[in-house]
Amino acid sequence: MTPFSVRSVTYDWGIVWDNRDMFWWGLVTALQVSAVALVFSMVFGLVLALGRMGKRPGSILAAIYINVFRGIPALVSVIWVYFGWSLLVGFNFSPFQAGVIALTLLYSAFFAEIFRSALTALSPGQSEAGLALGMSSAKVFFFVKLPQATKIAIPNIGNMFIGMVKDTSVFTVIGLVEIVRVTQNLNSTYFQPFVLFTAAAIIYVVLAFVLDFLFRTLEKILSTPTKGFMATLLTARRSSRINKLIEVHDNSLSPKIF
Amino acid sequence: MIDEQARPSALGEVTVQLRDVRKTFGTKEVLHGIDLTVSKGEHVVLFGPSGSGKSTILRSINLLEIPSSGSVQFKGVEYGPGDSADKSVTRGNPLELRRSIGMVFQQFNLFPHLTALHNIVLPLRSVKKLSRADAEEKAAQSLRDVGLLQWAGSFPAQMSGGQQQRVAIARALSLDPEVMLFDEPTSALDPELVGEVLGVMRRLAAMGMTMVVVTHELGFAREVGDHNVFMEDGRIVETGGRGFFESCHHPRTQAFMGSVL
Repeated sequence: MTPFSVRSVTYDWGIVWDNRDMFWWGLVTALQVSAVALVFSMVFGLVLALGRMGKRPGSILAAIYINVFRGIPALVSVIWVYFGWSLLVGFNFSPFQAGVIALTLLYSAFFAEIFRSALTALSPGQSEAGLALGMSSAKVFFFVKLPQATKIAIPNIGNMFIGMVKDTSVFTVIGLVEIVRVTQNLNSTYFQPFVLFTAAAIIYVVLAFVLDFLFRTLEKILSTPTKGFMATLLTARRSSRINKLIEVHDNSLSPKIF
Repeated sequence: MIDEQARPSALGEVTVQLRDVRKTFGTKEVLHGIDLTVSKGEHVVLFGPSGSGKSTILRSINLLEIPSSGSVQFKGVEYGPGDSADKSVTRGNPLELRRSIGMVFQQFNLFPHLTALHNIVLPLRSVKKLSRADAEEKAAQSLRDVGLLQWAGSFPAQMSGGQQQRVAIARALSLDPEVMLFDEPTSALDPELVGEVLGVMRRLAAMGMTMVVVTHELGFAREVGDHNVFMEDGRIVETGGRGFFESCHHPRTQAFMGSVL
C-alpha cells in the first residue's frame, strides 16, 4: 500500500434511479414551499414598496424592514421562526409553514425593491394620462401602473424564484423533506455522497433551466406586441373579438364624425 | 396687465375660468397671477417661448397641477384653492372635473400594455362604467372616427407617433368631454406626421368643441384661434381675437412671431 493511495470507490449511479420517487417528492416539496412563499412575498413586497415610496413614517418603517431582512440568511431566518417564534407565541409551526414564513420574511424585502424600481421606471405621463381621463388614483395604480411594473419586474421575479427554490435547501435543518434532506437520508443508507449530491445538484440546475424557460415564456406573453406561439394562443380570443369589431364597424354605414 | 374679465364672452356661457392663478415650484413662482376665461365653443390658443408657463396653465385647468393660489372654476364650481372664506361658492372634486375635460399630451401617453382599442375601453369601463361589450362598441366607433379602426388590435409600439396621437385624441373624446385640452400635441411628431393630427383637431374645432390648445403651430393657431394668448415668464403679455397674428402690437409678441414664422 502506497502512502497516498485512497480506498477504491465504486460509484453506484443506479441508486438515484431506484430512489427517483423520493427525489421527486423532495423536489415537489421544495417547489411548493417556494411557490406559496413567492405569492406572499410578492404581495407583501408590493405593500412594502408602496410604503417606502409613500409618506413618513411608513417610508422609514418600510426602509428599515427592507434593510434588516435583506441581510438575514435563510438558515438563520428559518431556525428563528421554527424554534424561536414557537417559544414566543406558544404555537408550533410545521416545517412547511416555517419554511414559507422564513422565505416570505426575507424575499418580501427583495421584492419591495424590485417593485419600487419597476414603478419608478414608469413615465409620470402614464399616471397623468389616467388621472386626466378621470380615473381614480387606485384605478390608475391597478390598471395602468401595476401591469406595466409587473412586466418590467418579471425577469427579476424569475431570478428571485430560482433563489428561493435554492434557499429551501437549508430547511433541511428543521426537517423539511426537500431535495437536500432526501439526499442526506439516502446517503445515510448508501454512503454514496458524490453520487447522491451530484444528483441533487443536477436536479437544481435542471429546475433553474425549466423555471428560466417558464419566466421567459411569461415575458413573451406579457410583451407588447405579444411574441411567440404560447402568447398567440393565449391572446387568440382577444384578437378574434377585435377583428370582429373591426369587421362590423368597417361595414357600418353610420357617418364618421370627422 | 391684460384685463381678461373685461373681455365680452359673446360666444356663450363661460365654462373654464381661471382667476389670479399662481403656481410656485419650490421658491420659484412660475405663474404670476393668470386670468383666463374660456367660453363654450371657443378655441383658445396659448403660445409663447418654452418655460413661459403655457403648459402649467393648461395642467391647472384639470388640476393635474394644483395652483398655489387662485381660483379654477368649471361651470361655476370651484376646483382650485379659490377663496376659502367665500362660502357661497360650490366646491368640487378634481376627479369629477376631469371627467368633463379631456386632455391630449405632447408624449401621447397611451398605455403601452394595452391595444389601441383597449386604451379606449379602459376609461370607458372604469370611468363611464360601461359594460365590456358597450365599451368595445364605443371604442371601435371612436377609432373609426379618427380613421384608425384597422389598428384596433395594435399596440402603441406598433404605431407611428401621428397614429398614437390620434388614438389619444379618440380616447379623450370617447368620454364625451365638454372641453378638450391639447398640450403641444404635435411637438413630439416628425414633421410629416403633424398634418394628420392637426387635421383631426381642425375637424374637432369645426364641430364646435371647446378647446384650449398650447402649440407652436402658429399656422393652426391663426386658423382656429378665437382667442389667442401670448405668454412670457409666467405672465400673459398680450391677447387678441381673430386676426391677432396680424394685429398684435406688443414688441415681445412681434419678436416671438418674427422668430417662429
